[in-house]
Amino acid sequence: MQEKDIIKKISEFKKIQPNHDWVIWLKANILEIKPQNILNEKPKIRLASFSFINKYQKAFIPAFLSLFFIFSFAFAQTTLPGNALYPIKTLTQDAKIYLASENTKPVVRLEVAKSRMEDLSKVQNHEQEVSAIVKIITKDLGLVPQEIKKINKKQVALDVSKDVQERSKDLQVMTEKLVLKENDKEELSKTVENTQSQVLALIIETTEEINQCPSFLSKSLVELSEYFTNTETAMIELSNSEIIQAKALLKEASIVLKAGDCLAAMEKIESINQLLSILSLDVQVETSTPENLDEESSSLPLQEELEENDY
Amino acid sequence: MDKKKFSEFYDQNINKVFRFVYLRVDSTETAQDLTSLVFLKFWKTQASFVDNKINQSSKVSNPKAFLFQMARNQIIDFYRQKDKKPLSLDKLGEIADFQVAKPTFSQQIELDLEMERIKKALQFIKPLYADIIIWKYLDDLSNKEISQILKKKEGNVRVLLHRAMESLKKQLDS
Repeated sequence: MQEKDIIKKISEFKKIQPNHDWVIWLKANILEIKPQNILNEKPKIRLASFSFINKYQKAFIPAFLSLFFIFSFAFAQTTLPGNALYPIKTLTQDAKIYLASENTKPVVRLEVAKSRMEDLSKVQNHEQEVSAIVKIITKDLGLVPQEIKKINKKQVALDVSKDVQERSKDLQVMTEKLVLKENDKEELSKTVENTQSQVLALIIETTEEINQCPSFLSKSLVELSEYFTNTETAMIELSNSEIIQAKALLKEASIVLKAGDCLAAMEKIESINQLLSILSLDVQVETSTPENLDEESSSLPLQEELEENDY
Repeated sequence: MDKKKFSEFYDQNINKVFRFVYLRVDSTETAQDLTSLVFLKFWKTQASFVDNKINQSSKVSNPKAFLFQMARNQIIDFYRQKDKKPLSLDKLGEIADFQVAKPTFSQQIELDLEMERIKKALQFIKPLYADIIIWKYLDDLSNKEISQILKKKEGNVRVLLHRAMESLKKQLDS
């Protein structure tokens, strides 16, 4: 038997039909049954529209809290003193200062202080909150020079000081424009002035320290000058031409050292040492203070002596 | 599904379900009992949806497929309990608050020899194959509807149908 024939025969089963009376009887009986009789217990009522909350609550709650905090922090950045969310803004700014590296901290602190001053310029009333912010700004500005001093590398400290000086130029103008209580304004103005002068002093001091030559150079120069003062001793060990050459180098070294060119001075002293067959200079890290240098330089008899000897 | 809709649905499917059950159990009375149970359970389900004001369509996407699934399960249950006697109408009345009257619905179904042979062959092949052949060629269910009843993919249904026909042909030839 082919598949077609089988299908055809199967379709003939359609003539199998239930008894018509039974069909009517069954339907009538089924429909007579009331739903109340069918249901033994009522299903629990649940809020279908929020059922997903229960299902995903473990993931939903942390996600919601995270979003809430993100939006609160973002919104807080636009607030001004007197707003309920302003403390969040100050907290964020403090965190920014705290997280800044030692080398950038003074600049970041100054910028934060400037930003807070800008906030104050946009606020009217809220005297209490404004006074509190003024105190914070005053404290911040006072910390800037101290933080510059904490920077170990002199060159970096100098760069930072210059940057701070540049950025703090408009602070005085900003302070003048602020509408504050007399006391607050005076205090702020004084702090700005103090900070600027302290930073300037730091710039000068650091520049001098950088340009200052190591003390061992002046000491070597003094020792060599003393050696050539006694010409007889020098004559025993050196020839005339060598003495003349050494004295010339000594004079040049003295001039460049006074001019602050430490490297050139070191080269000249090294050349003299080579002539005298003395070992190279031991490098000492210690630096002398400008006062010491002046004293040491003034004790040099070299220049006068060289002029007197008239070689 | 309200009474009116159920009534229409019942009229459209009672013959198909009865035929499907009859061909699988080979007894008019058993087929009637099982068909009664299938529709009764179906109405219970629908009535409970109405009572709870739950949208029925959200629960049963295809009522026809759902009905045949229930019929299939009913037949499986019947064969599992074949050592027990099939439910009598009296028992059915006890379970479902039926009005137990003795209607005169016994009917002799007559088939020719060739059809009897096919009917016997359907009872010898795998029940799943028999179900698929009946649904497809007798009850005119689409492959999609069959896939919903069996909870299989349509592609699998096509393969199963092919295997079912091969099995039936083999049974008829033997």
